[in-house]
Amino acid sequence: MIWYVLRRLALFIPLILGVVAVTFGIMELVPGDPAAVLLGDEASEEAVRDMRRSLGLDRPWWIRLGSYYADLAHGDMGISYFQNQPVTDAIRQRVVPTLEVAVVALLISILIGLALGVAAAFWRGTAIDATSMLFAQLGVSMPVFWFGILLMYLLAIRFDLLPSIGRGPPLAGALVEAALGRPAALLESLSHIAMPALTLGLTNAAVISRLVRSAMLETLGQDFIRTAHAKGLLNVRIIFVHALGNAMLPVVSVIGLRFGALLGGAVLTESIFGWPGLGQLAVAAISQRDLPLVQGIVLTFAVAFALVNLLVDLLYALIDPRIRLE
Amino acid sequence: MLKFVRMLISVGIAAAIAPAAFADVVRLGADVDSATMDPRIQRNTTEYRVNNLIYDGLVQLNANLQVEPGLAESWENPEPTVWIFHLRENVMFHDGSILDADDVVFTFETILDPDLKARFRSLFTPIDTIEALDANTVKITLKEPYAPLLSYLDMGIVSKDYVEGGGNIQSTPVGTGPLKLSNWERGSRISLEPFEDYWGGSPNTDGFEFVVVGDNTARAQAFEAGDLSIIQSPLSSQDIGRLVANTQFQNEILGGLGITYLNFNTQPPLLGDPALRRALAMLVDQSTIVDAIYEGVDQVATSILLPSSWAYDASIAQPGFDPEGAKDAFAAAGWTDSNGDGTLDKDGQALSIVLSTHSEDPNRIQSLEYIQAIMLENGVDASISIADWPAFSEGVRGGQHEIALLGWLNIVDPDRLMYGQFHTGGSFNWGGYSNAEVDAHLETGRSATDVGDRTAAYQAAAAIIANELPYFVIAYQGYQVFYTDDVTLDPDARGMMRSVIGN
Repeated sequence: MIWYVLRRLALFIPLILGVVAVTFGIMELVPGDPAAVLLGDEASEEAVRDMRRSLGLDRPWWIRLGSYYADLAHGDMGISYFQNQPVTDAIRQRVVPTLEVAVVALLISILIGLALGVAAAFWRGTAIDATSMLFAQLGVSMPVFWFGILLMYLLAIRFDLLPSIGRGPPLAGALVEAALGRPAALLESLSHIAMPALTLGLTNAAVISRLVRSAMLETLGQDFIRTAHAKGLLNVRIIFVHALGNAMLPVVSVIGLRFGALLGGAVLTESIFGWPGLGQLAVAAISQRDLPLVQGIVLTFAVAFALVNLLVDLLYALIDPRIRLE
Repeated sequence: MLKFVRMLISVGIAAAIAPAAFADVVRLGADVDSATMDPRIQRNTTEYRVNNLIYDGLVQLNANLQVEPGLAESWENPEPTVWIFHLRENVMFHDGSILDADDVVFTFETILDPDLKARFRSLFTPIDTIEALDANTVKITLKEPYAPLLSYLDMGIVSKDYVEGGGNIQSTPVGTGPLKLSNWERGSRISLEPFEDYWGGSPNTDGFEFVVVGDNTARAQAFEAGDLSIIQSPLSSQDIGRLVANTQFQNEILGGLGITYLNFNTQPPLLGDPALRRALAMLVDQSTIVDAIYEGVDQVATSILLPSSWAYDASIAQPGFDPEGAKDAFAAAGWTDSNGDGTLDKDGQALSIVLSTHSEDPNRIQSLEYIQAIMLENGVDASISIADWPAFSEGVRGGQHEIALLGWLNIVDPDRLMYGQFHTGGSFNWGGYSNAEVDAHLETGRSATDVGDRTAAYQAAAAIIANELPYFVIAYQGYQVFYTDDVTLDPDARGMMRSVIGN
C-alpha cells in the first residue's frame, strides 16, 4: 500500500515535466507579446524590445524551458509579469478559496447526485424517475455562467437571501470556531460560498445522478439482489448496503474525474461571484500572456487533479476489498 | 497534526476578531484588481482610481479636466521650456514623514529611468532635467516646449525615503492622499480608510472599498442587490436599460475621454488610396452602432477632436453613412463590378478586405459584424478576424491589419491622440500614415504655448485627417455611472472618486 502510493507519487515527476512542456509549447505558439501588453499602447518599439530583454524573452525557447525546469526543481516558479509578486505567493493566496468552493461543490453534487440517482433507479419508469432525469438533463445542458447569473438574480436580488459577491471568513477557521461553539463565522462563510458552490455543484450533481441511476439499475438486476429479496431483507437494506455499495465503484472514479471539471468551472464562477481564487487569476494571466503565472496555475491544477485521482484509487480498495493496490 | 489544528484555530480567531465593516463604507464595483499600488508603474483603470485616492500629484485635474493646484500651490512658466512649481508646506505622508522637493524629483527621475519600465514614461520624455531648487521648489526644464505637460502632472508623488529605504510600495503604499490602504485581499477587495492628517482636511468618509467582480452583468446585479454602492463603465448594454428604469438609482452619462475607431492600414497596395478609404467609410452606419449596440451611451463622432476638448470644432466632419454615395465614390476611385459577380473589382482584382478586432469586447465584435454586413451588401468582400487582445494588438502594432476596430483612452490633451498616431514614423502610427502638412501642424500644436495657436494647429490637422481618413472615428466613448442615494458624487469622466470623499 505504501509502496503503491510512493510509486504513484514518483509518477508525478514525468507528469509535471510533461504539463510544463505542453503549457510552454501552447503559450509559445499563441501570438501576443507579454512585453507589449505590459507596456501598453503608448510604448515605443524600443521600450518593448528592452522589456523583452529584461523579462528574458529574447533567449531561445530551449534555454527558457530548461531554466524554468531548473528553477522549478528549487521550488521557484518565477515572478509574475503583471502581479508584481512571486508566482508561488500569488498561487498560495488564491488556492484555498478555490479549494473551499470546489470541496463544498463536490459535497453538494455527491449528496444530490446520489439521492436523485438512487431514487430514479428504485422507482424506475415512474414520475420520480422522469423528474430526476429531467433535472439531470437540465443540469448537464445549462452553461455555468448563465446559471450563476440566474442564481444571483433569484437568491440575492429577488429574495435577498444571500450576499451576491465576495468571500466570507476562511472556511477552515470558521469550522473551528463553530466547533468551539461560535457558529456566526461559519454561517457568514457558508452564506458566501453557497452560490458559487451551488452553481458548480448542481451541474455536477446532474452528471453524477445519471451515472448512479444506470449503475444502480445494473446492480439491481443481478442475481445476488434477487437472493437478498428472497431472504426477505428490507428494501432499505438491499438498496443502501447491497446495491449501492456495488454500484459505487464506477461512480467514485467519475467523481474523481469531475473534480477536474470543478476546477475548470471555477474559472467561470469566480469572475461572476467576485471570488478571489485561482480561476480568476488564471483568466487574467492568460489574457495578459503572463507566462510564469499561467505555467504555475496550470501546474497547480494538474497536481491537484492528479492527487484527487490518487485518492480515488485508494478509495477503490476501501470500497471493494477484492481490489489490491500493488 | 497538532500543529495543523493549532494553525486552524489561530486562523479562526484572526477571522473572528477582524473588525466588522462600517455601514457607511462606500463600495465601488471594479472590473479588474490592482496589480500594484505604485503610481509610477500603474497600468489598469483600477490602479489609476485607487492611486488617485492614496496619492496626490503636483496638480489635480478636476471633473472638467481643468488643472487645479495639488501638492504644488502655484507654478510659473518663465520661459517656454522652464516650469517652476512651489510646493505646499508641511504635507504629511501616511507614514508621518514630510513631503519635500526631493520626493518630486525622485518620482519623475525614476519614471524616466527605463529600468522602472513605467508605462507612462513616454509622456514625460520631453523633460530634460528636474531639480530641487530648495525644499519646496521644483524646476522642470524641457528639451523643447511641450504644452501637454501640465495635464500629465497629476501623477502621484511617492516618498523617496520610503522607496529607497526598501519599503514595498507595490503592496504597502505610502502616499500623501486623503485615503490610505487598510487591507488588500488580492482578487477580491481593496479597502481604504481615511488619513486623518490629510493636508486638505480630514476626509468625509468612513472608508472606501474597491470590490472586484470581473463579469459585467454580475457586477450590475451585485449593485442591484445592494452589495455595491457605485458601478461605472464598462457596463453591458443589456443591463443599462434595466438600471436606468430603476428610480432608486442615480444615473449619469458624461462624454468620456476615449474614442472607438477604424484604423486603416494606409500602406499600399490595398488601402493606400484616400478615395477608397472615404468610400469604405461611407458604409459605416455610426448612428445604428451607437444607438443599438452602445445603447446611446456613446456619441456619433465627427472628427478626431473630442467635443469636450478646447480644440473641438463641429464643422470639421468625416464622411457620414451614405451607401448610395459610396457607390459613386467607389466608381470614381476605379472600383466597379465589371464581371458581374456582385463584388467590386479593379484591374482584375476583387475588393477583399479583412476587418479585425479583439475578442474581449462583445460590443466591438457586434459593431464589426454589422459593418461587415453592410459592406457585403454593397459589393465589398469583407471578412472578419477576431483574436484576443495580445494577439490582435501584436498584429496591429506590426502593421499587419487592413482595417482594425479599436480605441484610445485617457485623451486629456489632443496631443495624446494625434502626435504619436499621425506624425510620420510616430510610435503608434501603425497604419503607416504620412502627410508633411499634418506633421507640421502637430509639431506646432505640441510646442506652441498659446491655446489659440494650438487650437488652430489641431483643427487644421483634424480637417486633413477627416478627409484622408487614416482613422475613421466611429464614436466618442461615453462614460456612465450609477450610484445609490446615500452617495454624493460629482461624476468625472475618468471614473475618479475624489468627489465621493469630499476631497
